[in-house]
Parts: sequence; structure tokens; C-alpha cells
Amino acid sequence: MEYFILFLPLTAAILSGFFSKLIGEKFCNYITCLFTTISAILSIIIFYNVIINGYENNLLIAKWINSGSLQVNWSIKIDTLSAVMLVVVNSISSLVHIYSIGYMSHDPHKPRFMAYLSLFTFAMLTLVTSDNFLQLFFGWEGVGLCSYFLIGFWFKKNSANSAAIKAFLVNRVGDFGFALGIFLIFYLFGTVNYDEVFQKISLFINDELNFLGIKVNSIDLICILLFIGAMGKSAQFFLHTWLPDAMEGPTPVSALIHAATMVTAGVFLVVRCSPIYEYSEFALSIVTIIGMTTAIFAGSVALVQDDIKKIIAYSTCSQLGYMFFATGVGAYNVAMFHLFTHAFFKALLFLGAGSVIHAFHEEQNINNMGGVKDKLPVTYALMLIGTLALTGFPLLSGFFSKDAIIEFAYLKNSLLGYYAASIGIFTALLTSIYSWRLIFKTFHGDYNNHSIKIEKIHESPMVMTIPLIILAIGSIFAGYFFKDLFIGFEKSYQFWNSSIFFLEPLSIEHPPKWFIFLTPTLVTVSIPIAYYFFVKRKDLLPVIVDNNRPFYNFLKNKWYFDEIYEFLFVKSLKKIGLYFWKKIDGLVIDRFGPDGISSIIKILSNKAVKFQSGYIYQYAFIMLVGFSALLTYLIIK
Amino acid sequence: MIAHAFFFYFFSFIAVVSAIMVTVSKNTVHSVFFLILDFISISSLFIMIGAEFLGMIMLIVYVGAVAVLFLFVVMMLNVAKQKNTWFKSSTNSAHIPIGLLVSIIIFFEVIIVIGGWKYKPELSNKIVVSDITNTHSIGNVLYTDYIHLFQLSGMVLLVAMIGAIVLTFRKREGIRRQSYFKQLSRERNDGVSLVNVKSHQGVKIDD
Amino acid sequence: MIEIGIGHYLTLGAIIFLIGIVGIFLNRKNVIVILMSIELILLAVNINLVSFSIYMNDISGQIFTLFILTVAAAEAAIGLAIIVVFYRNSGTIRVEEIEKLKG
Repeated sequence: MEYFILFLPLTAAILSGFFSKLIGEKFCNYITCLFTTISAILSIIIFYNVIINGYENNLLIAKWINSGSLQVNWSIKIDTLSAVMLVVVNSISSLVHIYSIGYMSHDPHKPRFMAYLSLFTFAMLTLVTSDNFLQLFFGWEGVGLCSYFLIGFWFKKNSANSAAIKAFLVNRVGDFGFALGIFLIFYLFGTVNYDEVFQKISLFINDELNFLGIKVNSIDLICILLFIGAMGKSAQFFLHTWLPDAMEGPTPVSALIHAATMVTAGVFLVVRCSPIYEYSEFALSIVTIIGMTTAIFAGSVALVQDDIKKIIAYSTCSQLGYMFFATGVGAYNVAMFHLFTHAFFKALLFLGAGSVIHAFHEEQNINNMGGVKDKLPVTYALMLIGTLALTGFPLLSGFFSKDAIIEFAYLKNSLLGYYAASIGIFTALLTSIYSWRLIFKTFHGDYNNHSIKIEKIHESPMVMTIPLIILAIGSIFAGYFFKDLFIGFEKSYQFWNSSIFFLEPLSIEHPPKWFIFLTPTLVTVSIPIAYYFFVKRKDLLPVIVDNNRPFYNFLKNKWYFDEIYEFLFVKSLKKIGLYFWKKIDGLVIDRFGPDGISSIIKILSNKAVKFQSGYIYQYAFIMLVGFSALLTYLIIK
Repeated sequence: MIAHAFFFYFFSFIAVVSAIMVTVSKNTVHSVFFLILDFISISSLFIMIGAEFLGMIMLIVYVGAVAVLFLFVVMMLNVAKQKNTWFKSSTNSAHIPIGLLVSIIIFFEVIIVIGGWKYKPELSNKIVVSDITNTHSIGNVLYTDYIHLFQLSGMVLLVAMIGAIVLTFRKREGIRRQSYFKQLSRERNDGVSLVNVKSHQGVKIDD
Repeated sequence: MIEIGIGHYLTLGAIIFLIGIVGIFLNRKNVIVILMSIELILLAVNINLVSFSIYMNDISGQIFTLFILTVAAAEAAIGLAIIVVFYRNSGTIRVEEIEKLKG
């Protein structure tokens, strides 16, 4: 059964990718949706098995490397962590597949899109079900590759191409750190299989090694390197620049990859390596700092963005920051819980935004929308649900997970913990403000679009709304139903079993009552505040903006990160790359390699052609010369 | 002995010079004449050395037939006077001295080979004069021991003759020829047909 | 030098042989000269055979020369026939203009 989960999407991808002309577009659509849905149902069955029976398994697909002490296999490892991820990945993927049938109905390249989506699913599943770092890395690269394909899906657009390359390159920087981490693991432990590595960690706690001239604790170093990989994949603070530009891809891509699955691979990595991270306080603090910096950074930038998808993208970035700083304070299960719930409501928000964009005929700027809540009632209702869940409105799923993170940060009782908790609360406020800003500017107020008449705005077809409804159900109820299982005090340890390692059990205290009520109060209060500013008294906004013009620009330009990176890295690397391409590759390697050989062959054969002149007496002469040479040789011998 | 030596040098000198002139002459007809002179001098050499039958045969066959044939073809093909483009030739001008060089090398090598030969004991430097004539001695052997080769050479000549005719055969257009086969295989139906001729209308004859 | 031995005859044969070979590729005129050079080569072989036959008192050399004569005549005839047909087809027998085998 596990094999089906993994290989059905791959089969769908191959069929739809290579044989689309043979089997027709409609059939491609059906096949990919059907296969991913079957995968989703199977993974729910497995998840159920894991919950009820504590099912764990490690199935071998094939032996991969067997070289000396390095033994690596292709395998499917089912334990709690991977079962949770399976459910998340497969269900969101199947819903996105179904949604794409409607969203991409006007696109001539549907089979290619569906194939890429299924291929991405397969890569993500490989990542999640691996039992060694190498297969994880394979899946890691695979999702990066599919992300490149999908972001640059409309490859005739220059901006899409550049965005895809940017995503791939920034990811590459992270991957470099990740690869170094894996090398270091192999160097220290002699193996890359999870079980063996995790067993040996405690032996190496005080091991130190020399890294670029500095003496560092090896466990710290491994954790930091692995975290660099996670930073790249999950768009954390320094390696985040690709995520907003990745919105060039179609909306279903953003929903699948940049909300629910690929960006959560980083969190998955950290949680999977919890045995390693638990032994390194230093790395955990780094993770926390980066996580919360990302959260507040993304939250602040999202306040002033105009593109509907970019707002939601920054929101994702911010929520990932939350997840990371949950892991940083040691609450891995809370991070996974937030991942679980976040997948639902973020995908809902993205797909809803897609619905809005579809209704507005590909308009993405929220300044050109407004006042369509009666025209798009279903979408409005569903986006409302998503926003409420995102901001952590009491009793919806986001409330349980986000507040748990803030509580655990506070309970850490360290300076870092208090600092993290306060940033977490402030970011929750920011989240609330920008999410409601999105809703109000899109659906309330005056109709601001100049190119389309308001009568022409219509609701999306059923094939697009059904997935939204399913996701909304998940957003509402997933939190309440699963909270005991994931983060409840006794049950969760049994649930998570050996897949997450806690060095010491999480604190079972509760923070003071005023603290528990602080966040929900702030969140609820921010709704009328946002309503006031963005609907009632819109004229106040330009005044505030003018007064704080530099700060506004700072936020609008994403803290000038793109410009800084351009100045620091991009210009010089481009020059170096150009030099290597033109001079060394072109003039040196090509000249002595293919070009050189072919021109030498040309010259030689031109010379050789002159031998065959057609004049018989020349042939006779050559015969004579040969004869005399032979004679001389025989005489001399 | 002196006569032998004198005549030998005389004839061989003429032979070598005319051989050179064959290749060097500007006029092709002159080349053919020098070839004829060459043949004649070598025939004389043969007659001198005692192989008179062969010498005569060479005169008859080579000079009388082969060289005349050459002359026929040269005249027929109307070869114009060629300019002397020996060493000033534009194509492969370095080619001639090298060619000469190579041929001189070969010559010396042949001489070395010849000089190093060990002759059979019964080889004497003396020419034995026997009682029977050369013709007689050739006839003794030709029709007895070498009869097969003799017949074969006849076949060679036959084949050469047929070959020459076949090569140069030209079918001319528009010439009517008799074909016995066609004449003999004519049937009554092809040849004769009865026609009812209307007056003043004539008969159409297919041709 | 005065005493003519077989060596002299053989040397004569060698010289005429070489002149014949040289004539094949050193001529700039026409193809008929090539045929004449071939005749010279055959002539040189004849000299060789006949001189051996006389000096070794063995008649078979002359027999063989007879056959060579026959074959030479036949070959000259065929060669000339080919030249005639070639001239018919390509209009020239000058050596520099015959380069149909050019590759």
C-alpha cells in the first residue's frame, strides 16, 4: 500500500508528461487527479493506522549504494512524523490538482502542468518517507527542481523565467549548506541512515573540529549546516528573497508548493533531526532567532504589499518563522501541529485568492479590487474562514497551534524565550492587521477596477470551489480535533513515539492567565481597528504614509534585501560567470576540445583530399615511391 | 670480341637515347618514330647475340604491327603539338626533380641487386655457338613442351581482337541493316494482309 | 669493359626499364606516351630474358620472350582501342585534362 502512495503520482506524472498527445488532455486531467486522490485516501488510511495501532514500518524499495561502510537504500519509512506529512502533502496535492482543472482550463499546456504537479508530489513524498539523509536530499533537490518548472511554467514571460532561476539559485545556496551537513554527518558517524546516526549522537556531544580555522563543536556545526538548508527551502530570513518572486507561477502552484509542502520541508528536516538538535543549545537558539526575525520581517513587509499573492506569500514566510521558532524552543510537536493546520488555511487562502484573480481576469493588485463581497459570496465566505484561522481567532485551528507556540516560548523561562514570545505576539497582531487589510480591500469598500465592469464579476465554477470547501472544513476543525493528539500532554508523547526526540519532556505548566488571553484579545480587537482604517476612514492612510515615508519605503522594498544582495553578490557573480563562460569555456576548453578537433580534422582531410587528384600519373608516381621505399628497406635489411 | 663490344655499345647507345627521346619529344609522332628506332636497335642487338629468330619476329610484330598501330591512332586523334612544359610546369613543378631522383635511386638499387647475384656455375661469359639455327631450336621446343602456352597465346590474341572491336563499336543511327533473324522469323500474318481497297482511296501502309 | 658479359646486357635492360617507368609519370603530353613507355618496359624485360637465355644456353627464355611479345601486342591493341573510345567520349587525351577520378 505504501508503494502505491509513492508511485501513483509518479506514474501519473510520466503518463501526463510524456504521453499527453497519445491519451488526450481530458484523460490526463482525470488520471492525475485520480491517482493523487487515491494516494491521499491511502495516506489517510495509514495515518489512521498510526493513530490507532501505532503502526510503524520501513519498507525497502531498492538498494542504492553499497560501497564500503556507506549503505544507503531507497525506502519508505512510515512513522508518526512521516505519516502526518503524508496526509498533509497528499491531501493538499489532490485538492490542488482538482482545483487546477478549473483554474488552468484556458491554458493550452494543461497536461504539462498536471505532470509537473504530480512529479512534485512524488518528490515531496520521497523526501518525507526517506530513512536516510541521501534520499532526503534527493527529494529535496527534486522539489526544488519541480518548483523551478512550476514557477517558470509560463516560460514565455521573462519575469517568470527570472523568478524560477532566482528560486533555484537561492535554494542552491541552502542546499550547499545542507550538503555540507550531510558530508559532516558521514564523516563523523560513518553512515547516513537516520537510525544509526541518531543512536550515535550522544557519543559525540563534546567532539570538536576545525572548520575554516575555527574550533567548533561538531554537533553544533551539523545542526547549523542542516539549518542553512532549511533556511533556503523554507524561505527564512536571509534566504527568503525567492518566495515573493515565486508568485509568478500560477496560483495552484503557490498553494501547493509555497503554502503547504515545499516550504514545510525545512521544518520537517529540523523536526526529523530533533535527536541531533536537542543536543545543541547553540543551534537551537540560532533557529529561534532566525525564526522570529523572519516572522516579524515578513509580517511587517506584508502590511504594505499590493499584490494579493505577495501578501499571502509573506504571510507564509511569517508563519514558517513561527514554526521554526517553535522548534527552536524545543517544542517540535507544536511546530508540526502548526504545520498541519497552517497547510489547510494557507492553501485555502491561496486558492481563494486564485478564485478572486480568476474572477477579476488575472488582476492581482488589491488596489484595483474592492466591493465584490456580494458578487463572490462563496469565495468571500471561504476567505473569511481562512483569514480567521490564520490570525488565530479563538476556536479555529490557527488559534490552537499558534497560541501553543507562543506559550511554549514563554515557558522556556529563558531570556530568549521571553523575547521570542513577545515577538510572537507582536507578529500575531501584524498578521491580523495585514490579513484583514487583504479581506477589506478586496471584498469591501468601493469597486476600484477600471477595466472590468462589476456585472461581469462572477463566481468560480464548482470544480474550483469544492476543494476550497474541503479546505475550509479542515481549517475550522483540524485544530480542535487533533490538538490533543499532537500537542496534548500525555497523549502526544505516545503519538509521536520515537519520531521526535525530546531530551527532557516539555513543561506541563501553564503560563499565567493574562498571558493566555493576551493574544486572542489582540487578534479580536484588531478586526474593528482594521475595518476602521481600511474601509471607514480610508483617507487616514495616505496621511500616515506621508508622515513616515522613509519607513514606508523601507517596508515596501522588503527591507531593501533585493538591492543589498544585488550589490553584494549578484553583480560580481554575474561577472565571474560571464568571464568563465566566454573566456575559459569558449576560448580554452572548446578550442582544445570539440572545436579544435573538428578543425584539425577538417584541415587534415583537406590536405588528404589533394592526394586524390585524378591524375593517374601521380598515382603511378606514388606507387613508384612506395616501391622504391620498400626496395630500399629490403636491401638495407 | 672487339666487334662484339663495339656493336654492343653502338646499339645500346642508340637504344637508350631513343628511349629517352620517346618520353621527351615535343611531337607525339616523333615519339612513335623514336620508339620504332628503339625496337630496331634492340632487334639488331638480338640478331647480334644469336637470337635471330626473335629479332626478326620483333621487327615484324613490334615495328610492323604495334608501332604502326600507334601511328594510326596518333594520326587519327590529331594530337596537336604540345608546348614543352618540362621544368616550368605550374602544376607540381617540384614533382619532376623528385621523380628523377626516385628513379635514379631505383636504378642504383637494381644495379646493386644485379651486382650481388651469384650466377649458376654453368653460366659462362662465352656465347656458345651451336649447330642448329635459332629458329630450329625454338621450333624444337615450342610445339612440344610449350604447346599449351602456344595455344593460350592464340586465345589471348583472339580475345584482344574481339575486345578491340567491341570497345570501339559504334551503332550508327538511321542505317538500315539486314537482320537475318528477323527475316527468317517472319510469319505470314506479319508479312501479308488482305485489304479491301475502295476505289480512289488507296491503302495505308504502316511503316 | 671490352669483355661483354651478361652484366652489361642486364644493365642495358635496367636502364631501358627505368626510362619506361619514368616516362609514365614524367610526361606532360598525352596518354599515348604512357602506352609507349609500357612498351619500353616490356622491351627491357625481353632483353633481360633473351640475354639470360643466350648466356645460360637455355632456350626457354626465348620462348617466354615470344609469349611476352604476343601479349604486348594484344595489350597495345586494347589500350589503343580504349584511348580511341575515351577520346570519343571526352574529347581530349591530354594528361592534364584527364582528372575524372578527382576526389
